[in-house]
Amino acid sequence: MMAIPALEKEESLRLEQVCVLRQQGAGPRRELLSGISFLAASGEISAIVGPSGGGKSTLIRLLNRLEDPTSGAVYLGGTDLRQLDPLQLRRQVALVAQKPFMFQGTVLENLQRSFVYAGKPLLAPDSAELLRALAASRLDEEFLTRDARSLSLGEQQRVSLARALITSPGVLLLDEPTSALDRRSAEELGQAFREISRQQRLCVVLVTHDLALAGRIADHCLFLDGGRILEAGSPAELFTRPRTAQLARFLAGPAPQEV
Amino acid sequence: MQGLQIVNLELPDLALAYGLVLLAAGLARLRHNGQEWKILWASLRMVVQLLAMGYLLHFVFAIKSPLPVLAILLVMGGFSLQVMGGHVKQKMPHFYRVVSCAIFIGCGGATFLFCSVIVGNTPWWDPRYLIPMAGMIIGNSMNGASLAAERLCSEMSGRREEMEAALCLGASSRQAAEAALGQAFRAALMTNVNNMAAMGVVMLPGMMTGQILAGIEPVVAVRYQIAIMCAITGSVSVTSYLILILGYRHYFSDAHQLKMGEA
Repeated sequence: MMAIPALEKEESLRLEQVCVLRQQGAGPRRELLSGISFLAASGEISAIVGPSGGGKSTLIRLLNRLEDPTSGAVYLGGTDLRQLDPLQLRRQVALVAQKPFMFQGTVLENLQRSFVYAGKPLLAPDSAELLRALAASRLDEEFLTRDARSLSLGEQQRVSLARALITSPGVLLLDEPTSALDRRSAEELGQAFREISRQQRLCVVLVTHDLALAGRIADHCLFLDGGRILEAGSPAELFTRPRTAQLARFLAGPAPQEV
Repeated sequence: MQGLQIVNLELPDLALAYGLVLLAAGLARLRHNGQEWKILWASLRMVVQLLAMGYLLHFVFAIKSPLPVLAILLVMGGFSLQVMGGHVKQKMPHFYRVVSCAIFIGCGGATFLFCSVIVGNTPWWDPRYLIPMAGMIIGNSMNGASLAAERLCSEMSGRREEMEAALCLGASSRQAAEAALGQAFRAALMTNVNNMAAMGVVMLPGMMTGQILAGIEPVVAVRYQIAIMCAITGSVSVTSYLILILGYRHYFSDAHQLKMGEA
């Protein structure tokens, strides 16, 4: 296993010709992703938008190796993910899932989980890293002693953001992070993502069908449909001048959220 | 150890006892629930299987060689595997491989330890001890093992979200599965623990009853019962533990990924 590489600005996460085939039932293998190549840089937010079932969730799961591509490769700082220790990799490439999962116990215990897993000494409640992760996720210190499962969904999602940030990752993956939240919490969290990416020079990959969120915070945007990247560019370009019929249809879609 | 002469049951006595089965079938017919043929068929199986076992044991005791004894143990193990396969509806990946390995080590180890070290038989394969002990140990472990296997499956599918959350925080597959394994192990041991607590008050176990009937001093019979309960507890825990430890791995890849579709 190789050491986790230091991240350069230019090349943080890179995908090359990634394909994912999956067996579903007795039928032939279905192509979930095909020929995906892109680059996500540090200090920037790359958004992947598209209709559900288009392969977004599969794609984000490749980036911290919850799954492996059938062909092609994902590189972190130039090294193929498969050459890295998966446990260390997942501390370096942290994921915030669509539905926050809170482990039984207090918020502090939830935040300390990754240290328990790594067999490292636990963070003190007043340690600098912990306070920084809390502040970046817009949580007060008083949350630390609260029962994590009694929090509202919006608060839980902020705890899961803090939990992801606490290992000081170089890449932050966000899988539909605001879809379960009300609009106010969603906007507040979106703001937090933007500040984190700027201040901590994180490479953020955001998967969402929420065009408003992508338009507000993303630097780059990819449109993923039918397992392929159909368009790429700045959110403004994509959302105002779609070149493909699929994107135009998606923008006009059944439940368009404000752009 | 030959104490009092036990009353030998003659054919007419057995016929009289079988009358009670006919009574059960008659009652079932009265209730029109269609159980009577099932009762008769099951009782017939019981009679034939036990008679066959009796003659087989008679034969095995007579030829005094370890090979047929071991063959009987293997058949018993195989049969328990088949019964478990029928019982456990939701099977983990590689069910038969995992369970047979666990039963072989767990039950085999406990039986060997009991017969050759605790009782101190010479020869160690003396069928008069080895076969009934193995039967009790395998029979009891089978229940625990079924529970462990079944619970592992349901915990693994029920805790998918939790396990992926743990993996995302850098947990190894073992760490991610820890809570599921703990629950399944608890469930597997529950019956055995309850049995031990009720032993002697609520239940007079079969082996002790049998020995007392055969004229053994109750105080001696009780010691045997205590020893066999300890062996059973050891066997249930080792067998279940092995099923869980060998079983959970098949839900994960080497890169600590939760496999798709297995849970």
